[in-house]
Amino acid sequence: MTNQTKSQFIAVASITSELSAVMVVAKEISLAAANAKAIAFRAGDKAKGFQPITDFINELAKETIELVTNINIYALVLYRLTVDEFQKTIAYNKFELAAKMAEDAVFAKTMQGPVDHAKLSMQDCQRQFKRDVSQLLGQLEAVMHHARAARVIAANSRIEASQAGEYLQSLQAVAESVDKAAHTIHDNVQRCRIALSIYRNS
Amino acid sequence: MKMTKIYEGSHQWIMFGRDEGKPNNIIDTNQYVVRTPNRCLLLDPGGAELFAPMMAAVLHHAPVDQITDLFASHQDPDVISSLGLWDQALTNAKLHAPAVWEGFLRHYSCESIEYIPIPDNGGTIKLESVELQLIPAHYLHSSGNFHVYDPQAKILMSGDVGAAIEGPDSPVFVDNFAAHVEKMRYWHQRWMPSNQAKRVWIERVRNLDIDILAPQHGRMFKGDDVKRFLDWFDALQVGIAV
Ligand SMILES: [Fe+2]
Ligand SMILES: [Fe+2]
Repeated sequence: MTNQTKSQFIAVASITSELSAVMVVAKEISLAAANAKAIAFRAGDKAKGFQPITDFINELAKETIELVTNINIYALVLYRLTVDEFQKTIAYNKFELAAKMAEDAVFAKTMQGPVDHAKLSMQDCQRQFKRDVSQLLGQLEAVMHHARAARVIAANSRIEASQAGEYLQSLQAVAESVDKAAHTIHDNVQRCRIALSIYRNS
Repeated sequence: MKMTKIYEGSHQWIMFGRDEGKPNNIIDTNQYVVRTPNRCLLLDPGGAELFAPMMAAVLHHAPVDQITDLFASHQDPDVISSLGLWDQALTNAKLHAPAVWEGFLRHYSCESIEYIPIPDNGGTIKLESVELQLIPAHYLHSSGNFHVYDPQAKILMSGDVGAAIEGPDSPVFVDNFAAHVEKMRYWHQRWMPSNQAKRVWIERVRNLDIDILAPQHGRMFKGDDVKRFLDWFDALQVGIAV
């Protein structure tokens, strides 16, 4: 296996592992939102500004989970393509080797067909992989966008929490956990993007 | 890859083996090719490692598009792990292989090649005017196993039966049967699991008119050595690992 193929396998595998961590964190956010909603309800008027924010956080978490589920399906397609490309590359190399070894054979020229065909299907795989990586990067960008939005909301939550009297601490904790989760998602997705960016369609 | 023509008539049999470029840690194998005017059948085409030298060797005898048939006596990697590569190289070919191994052999990838399952009781492969018989050899050593008999050339391709571990420069025919026995004994005792299967096979094969017994490893047996081999095998206790 060449280093190029190896790193492609690793890049694709790393998406899956980074994303499963994102999934866990997104679920945490959704839990934090439910928690915040309960507190805001108890706080009544004191947390008036906080209530719509909890709905928003919840919505954001749900959308992130949905996006990540889709991206995982994509990652599986990328994995299959990588395996396919790997096999086609082996075939192409072996066909070339056979053609070279057959140099003095009467029917050596007839090997050109399989060599050309194998080369084309290998290049097809490479192109398809690049196309799919570009699309995946777009989807990852959407998750990053969600994470950034979550951090803005967390900042707003803090301000709202400061007006919630005795509920200040618990609401601040909610804002804190949303912020932390959004941060983690942002970092994980960023790592995915870096791993994949060298394969993008240029 | 050494090539030896072992039959020349209305069609040809060619033996390929003793590949000098083969890595040391993989077992040496014999491949056989049956060539008719417009078609070409590869018997036990070999492992993935062997694909390039084997393909190059076949190109001395046939163009790629006339390689129309492959035969796998059983499922072992030294027999047919090259399948996925042939599958990408050949556009119009069939693989004749034991029906019981179909789901297993497809792991090597068999998409463009058509898998022709051989039922347990055997069958034939028709190659233009040549008709080859598929002789059941189950449990010798594989649970789904066939040998190929050519009544015209009087050749029996016998898979792992008659095999021996040999050096890379050894001759392709047995020249001293008594000396050869030691190279075959452990192989047959250890790899062949069933005395009953062995008995049934010997009975079946004694009824065939055989000039050359052609195994997948080691040397071929010619003339009287064929009968010598059958007698020796008949007397041998196999399945010794239990
Ligand atoms: Fe075997
Ligand atoms: Fe074998």
